[in-house]
Amino acid sequence: MTRYILRRLLQAIPLLFIISLVLFILMQNMGDPLATMGGRKVTRTEDRIRLARQLGLDKPILVQYVYWLVGNDWAKTDMDGDGVAETSGTRKGVLRGDWGISLVNRQPVTKVVGERLSNTLLLMVTAEAVIIIAALLIGIYSALNQYTAVDNVITAATFIFYSMPVFFFALLAMYIFAVNFKKWGLPYLPTVGMFEPAAGQTPAQVAWHMVLPVATLSFGFIAGYSRYIRSTMLEAMGQDYVRTAKAKGLPRREVVYIHALKNAALPIVTIIALDLPFLLGGAIVTERIFGWPGMGRLFLDHVSRSDTAVVMGILMMIAVAVIVFQILADVTYAWLDPRIRYK
Amino acid sequence: MSKFRLLSWVSLLIIASMLLAACAPTATEVPPPPTEAPATEAPVVTEAPATEAPIEPPPPAEAKVVTFIWTQEFDTLNPLYTQMWFVTALFPVYVCQAWWFDDQNSPIPNLVTEIPSVENGSISEDQRTITLKLRDDIVWSDGTPITSADFKFTYDMLMADGNAVASRSPYDLMASLETPDERTVVVTFPEPYAPWLSSLFSGSSGISIVPAHILQPVFDAEGTIDTAEWNTAPTVSCGPFVFDEWQSGSFARFVANDNFWLGRPKLDELFFRFVPDDASMIAALVAGDGDVGTFFAYSDVPQLEEAGITILNSFSGFNEGWYINMHPEKGNPALKDVRVRQALAYAFNREKLVQDVLLGLTNVAATDYDNSPWIDPSITPYPYDPEKATALLAEAGWTDTNGDGTVDKDGVELVLKYGTTNREVRQDTQAVAQQDLAAVGIGTDLQSYDSDLFFSSYAEDGPSANFSLDIIEYSDAPNFPDPDSSVWRCSEIPTDDNPVGVNTSGLCDEKLEALFVQQESQVDFNERQQTLYEITRYIFDQAYWIGIWQDPDLFGFSNRMINVKMSGAIPFFNIAEWDVTP
Repeated sequence: MTRYILRRLLQAIPLLFIISLVLFILMQNMGDPLATMGGRKVTRTEDRIRLARQLGLDKPILVQYVYWLVGNDWAKTDMDGDGVAETSGTRKGVLRGDWGISLVNRQPVTKVVGERLSNTLLLMVTAEAVIIIAALLIGIYSALNQYTAVDNVITAATFIFYSMPVFFFALLAMYIFAVNFKKWGLPYLPTVGMFEPAAGQTPAQVAWHMVLPVATLSFGFIAGYSRYIRSTMLEAMGQDYVRTAKAKGLPRREVVYIHALKNAALPIVTIIALDLPFLLGGAIVTERIFGWPGMGRLFLDHVSRSDTAVVMGILMMIAVAVIVFQILADVTYAWLDPRIRYK
Repeated sequence: MSKFRLLSWVSLLIIASMLLAACAPTATEVPPPPTEAPATEAPVVTEAPATEAPIEPPPPAEAKVVTFIWTQEFDTLNPLYTQMWFVTALFPVYVCQAWWFDDQNSPIPNLVTEIPSVENGSISEDQRTITLKLRDDIVWSDGTPITSADFKFTYDMLMADGNAVASRSPYDLMASLETPDERTVVVTFPEPYAPWLSSLFSGSSGISIVPAHILQPVFDAEGTIDTAEWNTAPTVSCGPFVFDEWQSGSFARFVANDNFWLGRPKLDELFFRFVPDDASMIAALVAGDGDVGTFFAYSDVPQLEEAGITILNSFSGFNEGWYINMHPEKGNPALKDVRVRQALAYAFNREKLVQDVLLGLTNVAATDYDNSPWIDPSITPYPYDPEKATALLAEAGWTDTNGDGTVDKDGVELVLKYGTTNREVRQDTQAVAQQDLAAVGIGTDLQSYDSDLFFSSYAEDGPSANFSLDIIEYSDAPNFPDPDSSVWRCSEIPTDDNPVGVNTSGLCDEKLEALFVQQESQVDFNERQQTLYEITRYIFDQAYWIGIWQDPDLFGFSNRMINVKMSGAIPFFNIAEWDVTP
């Protein structure tokens, strides 16, 4: 198993290299970062030329990529525009742990991303936990009570929620539970943000402000996952080993949760493993609507200003996470199913 | 057991994340307003009657906090590094300039004792030298005096090659900046420079000074202030409020500056909540979770007003209109005829559009200079007159000879390519215009683009700059309240040699060019105004630009806010006077 994991990790290195090159080239087509630096007016020609030179945007794309990858402290740059490269570069490059400086706020990418990561993890891990727990409960209940009235209601509800756009659910929930509840004099939820300025950023405030975003993030996934679990559980419950377990007189709880669920969980593990890396990327729509300061909004804000350094940082982080979680999923497979062995 | 462990880990992770998120500095306690009377007033002493029972101390006054719902987060708070409206609009909050502009867009001194003029001797006879005379009592929030050295340092930082500042305009046009003493700054231009008032250490597109005593050591150590900590945490500044905290993506907080030389502001704290979604901003304002919001769609205004939000218009020089493609080679030949351009203006019922689509909340724009002192007051918008439009087209040789509903000439049908961004109100305008123009036989091919794509430069093949459109709709006010505009200048026509030119209509009119050159060096307001009258009249008569609506920035304020005034140039110029009802 160890050799298998090492091999997968080594394979990931050239893969990440190719991913970074492709993403970097694509980023150059996302727009002109200098165009947005003039605010409401067009960036002045003299400023555009100067900024391109100072920020290294006048270099050919492959040179920019090399600088991003290995830094430019070995090269000279023309900072004063006299055509002579006289100033040593200061960037060390990704391979030496320097992810560059944001074009938007001139802050190190690691700082920019780091400031948002905990907020995103808080929101996304909570949502994922709610999704998994609720989907398991609903899916198992539906499977064990197939074709009952409750199962039919759940089935109908899951299809409705699954087909509802996230932005619609989010705004609907906001207007009902925050705006109208307040208007009607009922206990109401906050509309946006992480806390009330007067109350301060306490755990209780943060938890209260998470209710609507977590609900928005969860509803569609609960609907989808619960359908998967229902069908895999139904399949597992019809297997010989479950019949054998029942025949041995094992308690129903043990039959369902140990024998059936463990086997039914295999496809769910794949789905969850694919989801987990994207927890780091945040939820663009939900974070935007509820003003949650997460990675999704960070990504959107910096893409819209063609901030290559920050966008590359986020995308590469997700790429690494995808690879790592795929390996973890394989390991989990082996734990769940003793028939699987990696060499 | 394993499941239990898994659940335990997940729970621990959630709790840890929540603690991490909550561990950021908690809400700062705002100091209560000073209890001492202003120094200029004699203290009033009242003795409590001996017979009365001891009076319990009153409860501490609740901090006056105003919450802004801000749809774009700041990029940086260093005024040298940003041109972003959502930051420059806040200059009167946390930084200081030589002068601000009031609700009539007239300059009011801030750091200087008086606005320079030839009459008071602060502008030289040859109009090339401008002298700023600084007040004696100006201080940074940490108590350090503000001197001419801060102006010189700001200038040096703008011009330093190590600093990738947002813009050097107009400082790179200066011949020199000298500081003969602590209270005097002397700026000399090689030629008289008319736009100085709106850009010399002033104006929303201008520069605010930065503290030399904080940033000089950073520059000396690193050779740049690009990455200075002050850029995102300007804890020492010179506005009525001083920076306290900025949590990325979430909020920023400014608290009252007790050292502000014009007196402590009436509010204790300004809390900026970053909410990028427009619908969420509206919901937050309606729910009372915010006091100030801006950039509403016109269609949202009734809902806001119903919720008790007061809407104030800030006329910041933006007027929505059509730039007609007049490029000598790439422009549509039909539009080279002034009669056809005027026919467009007469054929489009803009008054109805303003009433129906913009809910009558603004007016039809006559010129690109509406709501400024530079427009010839005799100009009124072209009225809706389809008969006159038809007559003008016929006079120019455009009639419907084949009966297909579209006028033609020499076998060519008059179909115009009309493009703008995909902003909802613009797309609605396109639909209405298409209908109106079709009524007089002018066909339209409507195009709409994402904003960043539409405004991409000629080099990027942006549709607003590559002359592929006949009518280009947007609004622009590059240097408001200054009238100087490069969009009409011949040298700004985008070409392969000048791919970043901003004259997107491709017009190079000799008379107009001469007038713009003339006003550039007219430092005297009245002289310059007369030239601008001529310019606005000429553009209007030639129908080089056809106005659609005056496009103010809409601001909404909760009904507890008082003393709010708005300036088109510097929206929050009197923020120190803002207050909330108890």
